[in-house]
Amino acid sequence: MTSLVRAMRLLQFGDSMLPVGSFAFSNGLESAVQQKVVRDLPTLREFIETALVQAASCDGIALLAAHRAACVGDAAGVIAADHAVLLRKLNEEMRTMTLRMGRKLGELVAHAAPHPLVTRWLADIEAGATPGTHPAGLGVVGAALGLREDDIFAAHQYGVAAMMASAALRLMRVSHLDGQALLHALGGTADRAYATAARASLDDMATFAPIADILASVHVNAHVRMFMN
Amino acid sequence: MDALIAAPELAPYQTEPTQMRSGAVGKNGFLKLGFERRGTRTVLADLRRRTPLIAQRALYYDAAMPDLPCVMIISTAGGLLQGDRSAVEIALADDCDAHVTTQSATKVQQMDANFAAQTQDIVLGERAYLEFLPEPTIPFRHARFASRTRIVLPASAALLYGEVVQAGRVHHAGGERFAFDVFSSSIAAQRPDGRRLFAEKLVVEPAVRGVGNVAVMGSYEVFANVLFLAPPEAVARVHGATPAEFDGAARCAAGASRLPHDAGLVYKVVGMDRETVQARVRTFWGRVRQAVRGCPVPPPFLWR
Repeated sequence: MTSLVRAMRLLQFGDSMLPVGSFAFSNGLESAVQQKVVRDLPTLREFIETALVQAASCDGIALLAAHRAACVGDAAGVIAADHAVLLRKLNEEMRTMTLRMGRKLGELVAHAAPHPLVTRWLADIEAGATPGTHPAGLGVVGAALGLREDDIFAAHQYGVAAMMASAALRLMRVSHLDGQALLHALGGTADRAYATAARASLDDMATFAPIADILASVHVNAHVRMFMN
Repeated sequence: MDALIAAPELAPYQTEPTQMRSGAVGKNGFLKLGFERRGTRTVLADLRRRTPLIAQRALYYDAAMPDLPCVMIISTAGGLLQGDRSAVEIALADDCDAHVTTQSATKVQQMDANFAAQTQDIVLGERAYLEFLPEPTIPFRHARFASRTRIVLPASAALLYGEVVQAGRVHHAGGERFAFDVFSSSIAAQRPDGRRLFAEKLVVEPAVRGVGNVAVMGSYEVFANVLFLAPPEAVARVHGATPAEFDGAARCAAGASRLPHDAGLVYKVVGMDRETVQARVRTFWGRVRQAVRGCPVPPPFLWR
């Protein structure tokens, strides 16, 4: 596969418009805005920055593990990475989000770009052999599409930032231009995030964002909300 | 312990102390607390210890649960020092109840070499109930601390485990807030047959990533991570009684989430001061004990 085709694949499957349902989630931003934790551009940036750190230091490690396992046909390795993600989703809302998006991604790729790795992945989800989380699914899809691991890692990081930036447009006074400037600035941090995640093992998956965790539990019980949980 | 020592967040801190080497006699504390049922009572049937960790005997001071053994873990070392390696094992046989705490806050002393590491292994039998509520951890300037907790329990057992971590000695030398090098705490739980329930690893490295971020600690200085693992009815009752709160006036925020695989709840609290956070943990403890054993918790000790 030429680098041009690889770039096309990455643009398509890393696109924030990819219909895997990410538009329905705010990744905790909705309650952060309601509780005034996020109230302007600087606080929005901090909130998304932490989500990206979490994505890299937790889900991103499993994504790389799933990609590496799928590339060598190690189905058990893919399943182990998938379980590792679910075990660490301590909040119901985050579990719902990752399972729904993971499932949709698998179905979409199975239809648009059929590949034995993705067929097997969906069959394992159907059979209950694996939960089907989004990061593990993205790793499998990346392997099926012949994408490099750093490319698919970047797609995941971008997806998290784009989902939240797009939710911000609907939740607070932020312009499209500010949103794009934010995505551009945050995109520059991907190198360092990848370098750390690439060396880590599933046991190293770690987080620390108590306020974000508490906001997620506020959201589960919220009466009025635009985004799903 | 070997896997813990090899954790990536400890990699920058592998130099040996110029005092006693890491894990030397006096720096490798061990404590085994084995509880068994005798008649209506639970007794501390197996007590093994190695300095600087000590437990004396079980006391039965809880008026609402007179058969509940209460054990205080004591350290003679004046906190955790560089090169310390300690291991705590708590095992409850079937139908046992126990309450375990520590004598005072765990001070993680200032370090210029190595780190302190601790493992905790908790194993519960059928229908057992353990309350493990240590006093807060206070990591001093340049402290490096890693802890690894493993929990094995059947679906019929209940565990309340809570850790409270402070920013540092906030009134010392003009204020010491999040001046430690690394605080790492990993917790994982599984069923006796090996089925894993959940895992969480918290790594705080204030110099690498500021904790003042609005999604991390904001302006709060104390956090609590509390786990309640129990059968579904008790979990539902506690969850229903624990609404999330996010209230600037209350100087704290708190919320409970349902863990994966119906394991129970995680309850997180952040606050401006220890008293506020501990009060939330105590209220939660009261709901837990009511749901699990139908008993109230004792009033706070006046001198603690």
